[in-house]
Amino acid sequence: MKMNAILLAAVSAGAMMLANPSFAATELTVQRFFGACDADFGTNTDVSKAVGECGIITSLINKFNADNPDVHVTVTTVEWPGYDQLTAQFASGDAPDIVTIHESVLSDYQSKGLLLPLDDVLKSVGVTPDAFTDAARNGATKDGKIYGLPIDSWTMLYHINMDLFKQAELVNADGTPILPKSVDELLAQAEQFKQKTGKPYFVQNLANETALFTRNLYTYLFQQDSDFFADPKHVELNTPEAKKVVEMYKTIFAKDYTTKGLDYGGAINAFLAGEGGVQLNGTWVVGDYNAQSETNGTALNKGGYAVYPYPQLFDGAHAQYADGHTWAVSAKEDRTAEQTAAIGKFLKFFTDNNFDWSRTGHLPAVKSIIASDQFKALPHRDTISAVAELGRSLPPEVERQFAIQEIIGEEMAAATSGQKETDAALADAETRINELLANL
Amino acid sequence: MADQMTIRETAAPAVGVRVPSANIYAPQWRNFVFVAPFLFFFTTLLILPLFWGMWLSVHKADTFSTGRFVGLDNYVRLVHDKVFLQSVWNTFYFVLLTVPALALIGLFLALCLNRRTRTAAVLRTLFFSSSVLSVTIVTLIWRIVYIPNVGLLSTIYGWFGATAPAFISDPSLAMIGIAIATIWWCIGLPMMLFLSALQQIPQDIYEAAALDNANRWQTLRSITLPSIKRTFILVIIIQIVLQFQLFGQAWLMTRGGPNNLTKPIVLYIYDTAFRRWDLGMGAAASEMLFVLILIAAMAQYLVTRNKGDQA
Repeated sequence: MKMNAILLAAVSAGAMMLANPSFAATELTVQRFFGACDADFGTNTDVSKAVGECGIITSLINKFNADNPDVHVTVTTVEWPGYDQLTAQFASGDAPDIVTIHESVLSDYQSKGLLLPLDDVLKSVGVTPDAFTDAARNGATKDGKIYGLPIDSWTMLYHINMDLFKQAELVNADGTPILPKSVDELLAQAEQFKQKTGKPYFVQNLANETALFTRNLYTYLFQQDSDFFADPKHVELNTPEAKKVVEMYKTIFAKDYTTKGLDYGGAINAFLAGEGGVQLNGTWVVGDYNAQSETNGTALNKGGYAVYPYPQLFDGAHAQYADGHTWAVSAKEDRTAEQTAAIGKFLKFFTDNNFDWSRTGHLPAVKSIIASDQFKALPHRDTISAVAELGRSLPPEVERQFAIQEIIGEEMAAATSGQKETDAALADAETRINELLANL
Repeated sequence: MADQMTIRETAAPAVGVRVPSANIYAPQWRNFVFVAPFLFFFTTLLILPLFWGMWLSVHKADTFSTGRFVGLDNYVRLVHDKVFLQSVWNTFYFVLLTVPALALIGLFLALCLNRRTRTAAVLRTLFFSSSVLSVTIVTLIWRIVYIPNVGLLSTIYGWFGATAPAFISDPSLAMIGIAIATIWWCIGLPMMLFLSALQQIPQDIYEAAALDNANRWQTLRSITLPSIKRTFILVIIIQIVLQFQLFGQAWLMTRGGPNNLTKPIVLYIYDTAFRRWDLGMGAAASEMLFVLILIAAMAQYLVTRNKGDQA
C-alpha cells in the first residue's frame, strides 16, 4: 500500500512536469530598446504580420519563447538607448543576461570586462563569424573577439516625399528624385524647393537634438577624407573640413530650408503630414514609411515615397556614418551551463531570423541574407543597399561614443542656430571631447 | 502634555499607596531603541554617502572602480569647465525665477482662498492637485502645451494668426518654460503652508483692527504679513533647497538644451557621473552643490533672523 502511494506520487509528479513544460524552463533576462508595443504585438508569434522595429522584435521574442519551451525569456523594455540604466545595473551586479548594445558602445562595457566574449557560445550553436557582413563583424569585434551578436547595420537616410519633389520640379525623367552632388547644388535645390512648394526642403528634429547633428557631421567629414580620430584618444574637430559642414547647416537653418523647433516625434509627424521634402532619419523607419505610402489618403501615398543614402556632397571617399545593433551578453560567474546553452539558442534564433529583422529597414548583418532575392525584393532595398558599401563607423578604439555624440550635437546645434560662432563651437567641441577622453 | 502628566502624577496618591513616579525624561539606554531605526537609515543613506562622496571627489573614479587619489584635480577641472559654470548660473537663474514666484503666488492664493466657502475648498484642492503628480506626468503635460505646431500654445496662437513662443527650443525662453511648469507643479505646498499659517492668526486681532477702522491693506501689512513672517521664511528656505535640485523637468523637457542653457547642476552631475562614467568629477560637482545649497539656505536664514531680531 505504502509502495503504491509512493509510485503514484512519482507518476503524478512526472505527469505534472510533462504537462507543464515551463516547469523546468531555463530563465533568461533580456533587456532591449526599440520601444514598447505590447498592445499590438504582445502575444503575436507570426513575425510576418509584424511591422516596425518594435513589432518585429516583440514578435520574434514571442516566437522564440513559443518555439523553445525549455527556455523562458523575460523582457525588460528600456527607453532608447538605455545605457544609463544598464550601467547602473552592471554597477550593482544586476545586469540582464542579454541586452541590446550599439556597436559603437560595445567598447565601453567590453573594456571593463563586463561582457562575455561570444565566440565559443556562437561556435557551440554552429554560428561562425564569417556568416556576418564585414561591417557587422568588424563592428562587433573587439580585441579579436566577438562581444555582441550583430543583428543589423544602420545609417541615416534621405526619406523623400515624392509629391513635393514633383511640385518642386526635382524629379528626373525616370521618376527618381534629383539629389544634390555638391553643397552649392544642395542649397540651390533647397531654395528651388522652398520657392515652388512654400515648404522647407528638410524636415529635421532640431529641438534639443544631438545625435542627428553628430551623424551628419561624421558623414560629411568622411566624405572629405578627414581623419578626425586618427588618435582614438584625441579628436581634431577645429578643422576647415568641419567648418564647411557646420557652415552648410548654418545656411540651411538661416534660410529656413529646414523645419525648426521640432523634436523627434514632431519631425516624424511633420514629414508624414507632408510638411517638408526630405526627412533625415534612419533605416529603422523605412518599413513604417513604406506602409504609410501604401495607405490611401496619406501625404506619402499622394505622390510616393523614396529613400536614398545621403548624397555625396564632397570630393572625398564615398562614405557615410553607420553603426549597428547587437545582442551582447553580460559576463556572469554564476551562470549555469543550461543558461549559457539557452543564450546560444537565443543568439542562433536571431541569426536564423535576421531576414525578418531586416524588414524594419535596417541592413541585415548576415551575409547570405543581404545577397538573397528575398531581401532584394523588399521595398526600396535597391536604393539603400548601397549603404552596405558606404557605411563607415568611428574607429572601434574610440570610447564613450555616445558621450562624444552629445558634446558634438550640443556644439553643432549652438553653431547652426547662430548662438555660437562656428569656430568657437568647433573649438569647444574639440576641447570638451579631448578632456573627456583624457580622463577615462 | 505637561498638564496631563501633572494630572496623572497627582492622581496616583489618591489610590492609596504613594509610588515614586518614573521620570520618563531621564536618560535611559533603552530609549535609544526608539530612535535606532531612524538613526540607522539617516546614517546609512545620508551621513555615509556624504562622506563617501567627499572621498570619491578626490579620487579618479569611474562607475566600476575607484582609482587613484588625485587631490583637488576634480575640483580644478570643474572650475575650468564652461559647461559646469554654465550649469551653476542656470541653477541660480532657475531658483531666481521660481522661488520668489512660488512664495508670492502661493501667498496670493492662500490669501484669496482663506475662506470657509465651498468654492474656496474646491479651488484649494484644485491648486494643490498638481503637486501630487509625478515629474514625468507634469513634463508630459507641459510638453503637450509647448510642442510646436500641434501644442496647446500653438493652437491658441494659431487662432490669432500668430506664432507661439518656442518654450522648449528658444535659448532665451527654455528656462522660463521649465520655470512655468515647475511653478504650476509646486505651488500647492507653499499655498498650503501659508493657509495653515493664516488660520493660526487669532481672529480677535482682526476684530480689534476692524474696530480701529483699519482698511484691508493696513490689516494685511500690519497684522497678516508680520504674523506669517516665519512661515514666509520657511517657504523660501524649503523652496531654495528644492529648486536648487532641479533635474527631472530639465531632463525630460529639454535634456539641458539648447546649448546647455537649461542644464542645472544636478543634470551636470548625472551626465558626468553616470553617462560619462567620471564618478570622481561628478562627486566633486555634488559637493559644490551641497555647499551652494548650504550657503544659500544659511544666508537666507541668517539675514531674515537678524532682521527679525532688530524688529
